Amino acid sequence: MLSKGKILIALVVAVAAVGLVVATTAVAKVEGDTIIFGAAVSFTGKYSTNGKHTKNGYDLAVKRLNEMGGVKVGDKTYKVEIKYYDDESTPARAGQLADRLIKQDGIKFILGPYGSGPTKGMAPITEKYKIPMVEGNGASRALFNKGYRYLFAVLTTSEQYLAESINLLAEEFKKQGRDPSTAKVAIAVENDPFSMDIRAGVIEDAKRYGMKVIIDDKLPKELTDMTATLTKVKALRPDALIVSGHSKGAALAVRQTAQMKVDVPMLALTHCEAADVVGKFGGDANYTLCATQWAPTMTYKDDWFGFAGDYAKRFEAEYGYVPPYQAAESTASVLVYVDALQRAGSFDTEKVRDAIAATKLETFYGWVDFDDTGKNIAKPMVLRQVQKGVYIPVAPSKFAAGQVIYPRPLWRDR
Amino acid sequence: MNSAERNATIYGAILIASLAAPWVLPAYQTQLAFLWIMVLFALTWDLVGGQMGYTSFGNIVFFGIGMYVTAVIQRNLHFDIKEYVHVAGAVDTLQPGEYLSGLFLGMGASAIVAVIIGAVLGLCILAMGMRGQYFGICTLGLGVAAGEIASGWDYIGAGSGMVAPVFPERLGERGAFFYYIFFILTVILFLTLKWLYAGRFGLAINAIRDDEDKAEAMGIRTTRYKMTAWCISALFLAVAGGAAGHLVGFIDPTEVAFAGATFGVWMILMAILGGKGTLWGPVVGAVIFYITQEVFWTYLFGWQRVAMGALIVGIVVFFPQGIMGWMRERWPERFGHRVEESTLSSSAEGGGP
Repeated sequence: MLSKGKILIALVVAVAAVGLVVATTAVAKVEGDTIIFGAAVSFTGKYSTNGKHTKNGYDLAVKRLNEMGGVKVGDKTYKVEIKYYDDESTPARAGQLADRLIKQDGIKFILGPYGSGPTKGMAPITEKYKIPMVEGNGASRALFNKGYRYLFAVLTTSEQYLAESINLLAEEFKKQGRDPSTAKVAIAVENDPFSMDIRAGVIEDAKRYGMKVIIDDKLPKELTDMTATLTKVKALRPDALIVSGHSKGAALAVRQTAQMKVDVPMLALTHCEAADVVGKFGGDANYTLCATQWAPTMTYKDDWFGFAGDYAKRFEAEYGYVPPYQAAESTASVLVYVDALQRAGSFDTEKVRDAIAATKLETFYGWVDFDDTGKNIAKPMVLRQVQKGVYIPVAPSKFAAGQVIYPRPLWRDR
Repeated sequence: MNSAERNATIYGAILIASLAAPWVLPAYQTQLAFLWIMVLFALTWDLVGGQMGYTSFGNIVFFGIGMYVTAVIQRNLHFDIKEYVHVAGAVDTLQPGEYLSGLFLGMGASAIVAVIIGAVLGLCILAMGMRGQYFGICTLGLGVAAGEIASGWDYIGAGSGMVAPVFPERLGERGAFFYYIFFILTVILFLTLKWLYAGRFGLAINAIRDDEDKAEAMGIRTTRYKMTAWCISALFLAVAGGAAGHLVGFIDPTEVAFAGATFGVWMILMAILGGKGTLWGPVVGAVIFYITQEVFWTYLFGWQRVAMGALIVGIVVFFPQGIMGWMRERWPERFGHRVEESTLSSSAEGGGP
């Protein structure tokens, strides 16, 4: 009995003591000669894979900036550091952590989380406290019509991710002498903010061509199976199947279309690289169309990393895998922030916010130029097709390095 | 100091500390607001799960319903829905009056809707005589189903969720505003429960917990009591949900509103940790759970869940009856249970509920 009493007392004392420590350690935004950014990223939960890419992207930028001597703001040069929390892939937690970063840790510069959901959770908070947030992983267009003044995204918004695949389908139809309006499209997206936007973009584009959406399925958040959708695809024979469900969705679509030998002329996905569909499924991934924000083969460059390819090499040396675009856009977010700090020459959040808004910068990730709503309008999406295990850019034509193979060869001919 | 004076001192100290907290720790306002939500979670769960012995896994349903009802009323009151849907929520900032009227009307409506839904669900589950594990499984389904329905219903944003309007600047501190809302709500809930537990209602639901058939045989209208307890729980959860939606700012169907895996489980853990079936247990449990969780999150980065799991195991092993349950056993006289000297040796169990 006595030991239990001691345990209880010890527990209470420990909790109280640690609580006291929490209450007294408020970190300033700039400590000595270090600029501290704050970020809540998904280390656990369903976005943990992409959360890791995001963190690696941020960390590589920090490492590179410090290697190069730091960041000059005004007359002084500062080192850079990031304070992380784990948002556990939930918007509620992300919002709470934004509050904590700003109010308790005194962070004045916030980097985005991974995913539109968590970003939606954080944006109202950063907006409330007028703290700028530069993010590279919240693509939902619903983030950019709320009139948020302090939110900036370096990436292309989600409704544009797969719109290009519809254009491509229309082009292919015209080449074959068929009317694009006779094309039939099947859509299967995860029921989350990001993928629902993908769907909205695809439907809008399909409508423009007068195409018919014959399957419009919402996949559950616990994505483990889409055979129901694929059975419908087999029966209704659409001309294109569009799937979006982050990394899990991409892996699932490639795996199950191969298992069920679903012959659909076009399969377009998001998150192929993050899911490493080529590495995991080899030949089964061939002919898949993948929307990408960025690829190491692009020819953008900057003073920090050089060309996109140089960035990829540096990243691979550090983390042992080819950077997916989720990592690249995270790195780019830090670069945009740092560029704005340098131009602002001050740590005043209003001045920094205005400097970010005025950004016109070429990075290894692409051009960055924000419109009034805070989204980057200077960088297009690229569509790549897996051909013999290699991602070949096929659209838009400016970036195309090869011809799209349409229709996909039938499974029995492979 | 007699027990009435002691109680008055305790209540007074807690009241003063609670009123002052947001100004003493201004950086922690939002977290303190969440602390009250947690206390409310644990108290409402304990009403049905602890005092009445009906282990429910689905109370989160009412929290989510409140969140959505309030958000929808806020939206429909101040915006043209067609336009709102068209621009996917691109709307102007609300005036303080509009924000408040939408929020409070919404919370009121949440209460009504939740009680109606609670009554309907109660009729289906409780009045049908569902008990024990069967009741638990039934309610487990409720939370999951509600999340799925909300994810598929376009009127409330489906999988994209809903966004609460930005907090108007002229209303002052956002954190403090919500802190006091949840504080007042929790105090009302606590006093309501204290009053209920002290009377016939408390005895009746305790009797249901101890032996429902016997209670029924003694003439207690068990179904009526069960429904009442369930609906009171629903009412407070829904009102809290309404305000919580505005506090979080973004309502995701399965991860914020019907968040069974987090809030839904926590409310049970907190009640058990503090001692289910006691008035103060859920409060103590919620405070300890929430503070520990925040501390783990900060200092055991990446391992917070593991540490939390270890803590829960520790609690169950060392305090199977929860902290208050353990204290009641140890110091029964402090809980108003008089133990006769002569029977002390024979009844080591001591003190009933």
